[in-house]
Amino acid sequence: MDKKTVSTIAYLSRLSLNEQNEDKITKDLENIIKFVDQLNTANTENIEPLASPLEKTAKTRSDNVSAKNRKEVFLERSPKSNEDYFLVPRVVE
Amino acid sequence: MSIQYKSIAELKTMLNNNEISNAELIKETFSLVKSNAEINAFITLNDEESINKANKLDDCPSSGSLAGIPIAQKDLFCTKDLKTTCGSNMLSNFIPPYSATVVKNLENAGCISIGKTNMDEFAMGSSNETSFYGKVQNPWGKNLVPGGSSGGAAAAVAAGIVPAASGTDTGGSIRQPASLCGVTGIKPTYGRISRWGMIAFASSLDQAGPIARTAEDCATLLNEMCSHDEKDTTSLNEDIPDFTENLNSPINGLKIGIVKEFDLSKLDNEVVKVFEESKKHYESLGAEFIEISLPNISLSVPTYYVVAPAECSSNLSRFDGVKFGKRCESPKNLEELYIKTRSEGFGDEVKRRILIGSYVLSAGFYDAYYKKAQQVRRLIKNDFDSAFKSVDIIMSPTTRGPAFEVGSKGDDPIQMYLEDLFTIPANLAGLPAMSIPNGIIDNKPIGLQLIGNFLDESRLLQAAHNFQISTDWHLKTPTGIKS
Repeated sequence: MDKKTVSTIAYLSRLSLNEQNEDKITKDLENIIKFVDQLNTANTENIEPLASPLEKTAKTRSDNVSAKNRKEVFLERSPKSNEDYFLVPRVVE
Repeated sequence: MSIQYKSIAELKTMLNNNEISNAELIKETFSLVKSNAEINAFITLNDEESINKANKLDDCPSSGSLAGIPIAQKDLFCTKDLKTTCGSNMLSNFIPPYSATVVKNLENAGCISIGKTNMDEFAMGSSNETSFYGKVQNPWGKNLVPGGSSGGAAAAVAAGIVPAASGTDTGGSIRQPASLCGVTGIKPTYGRISRWGMIAFASSLDQAGPIARTAEDCATLLNEMCSHDEKDTTSLNEDIPDFTENLNSPINGLKIGIVKEFDLSKLDNEVVKVFEESKKHYESLGAEFIEISLPNISLSVPTYYVVAPAECSSNLSRFDGVKFGKRCESPKNLEELYIKTRSEGFGDEVKRRILIGSYVLSAGFYDAYYKKAQQVRRLIKNDFDSAFKSVDIIMSPTTRGPAFEVGSKGDDPIQMYLEDLFTIPANLAGLPAMSIPNGIIDNKPIGLQLIGNFLDESRLLQAAHNFQISTDWHLKTPTGIKS
């Protein structure tokens, strides 16, 4: 783990780290990754990964509209919106 | 008659015998909240609506199993028209347009949600020190942490403000604070309680549950909290028993597993002594102890610290400053809007976990970390499956020791992560597990963990209730709490 890797994963996470924080975070991440490297002591040959303790196929329900359209309720919780859309800085010039 | 430290069962009797009205009960509850404000257990209070509801119940009594009972909701459950922050600056202005299924279930049973409890930011922490809204004081000592992440919930119950609180448990967030605050808490089987409306941290591990004074109250609460919910694809569609039904059945012949790999010699003598005394007590109740082996259990914490951050980095990508929550001031473009909003909105521990998650999921590392951790997760689950062929429940201390001092874990995150050594395995395997008070060390409470087989909450609650009707650890209260 070096500063370059940390800055790449920070970008992937859409987070910016200030200079002061960067050293501490690099060290913390290095220690955490070292800690989880213990996993290599386990023999996992031919072991299927377990993604969820239930391991059941997600049940589907019939495709009926069950919720009312509450556009206004959701738009009014946005930091910036007009009557139809969430607003963000211009993307296409 | 004071309502402080009363259980749900006791408050129901008081209400039924007209010793207190619904409105008096709620007013006294808010007076306890105010006189103990320094504990900082609450982020938001729901006073006006609570008093209205109580008045309505006085005019028109309800037959619900929790009618009029004040309950504190963890600030991670969406509550319609009531601010829900998840302990984060990111959601400091968020007012949900709907309530979580579990909140609805509790309210349909008549309970009154009196407010939202403080917690570690996005439930990431074991001491409540990562909350944006300040630390929570453990009622057992001003400078002691209450545990986390459901720290406000456990502290509110321990201070006798409310008889019960909702919590969530991703790696021990109900059981560890229950242990450190001397109260009872249960995380049921993964899928028993709907996750709809629960702000997600690690979706394959998150599970809601109650914190209360007794196992009996936890059973009453679970009866209402559990339900099949079409809105949550991981919600179980299994029969939900009456969890109170077998509480009083004796536990003669109950086979309790002791995990060989949990090396108790590394713990303080006092902690081991408390645990051994509880074992003796269970023996006197007719239980039988069997040593079991869970060969991969020592890899639980490293497994968790790959799986949980991976799921967290994915879940928390929704906080982008566009649809709800905070947005940074005057971003130059869309990318800056995302980056500045997230950098300002999240605290250090949340950022650390998002970064670990992005790392273990990134190209080139996915197989070495994420896939490997999921494989080890299966080994751990297989270990439990084999163990439950020979035992009914598994017992261990809940925590490595009683409550520690604020700031005492230093700034090494791994020291804090190890706090959940005994609790994490049940989340990885999806098993029900609970913590009950079983001793006091240096005037600080500590808990006993019981882990059950899949869907076997009834047996856990029965074992816990049998312990509680023959001991008084769950009745101990801290000194110095204002009435």
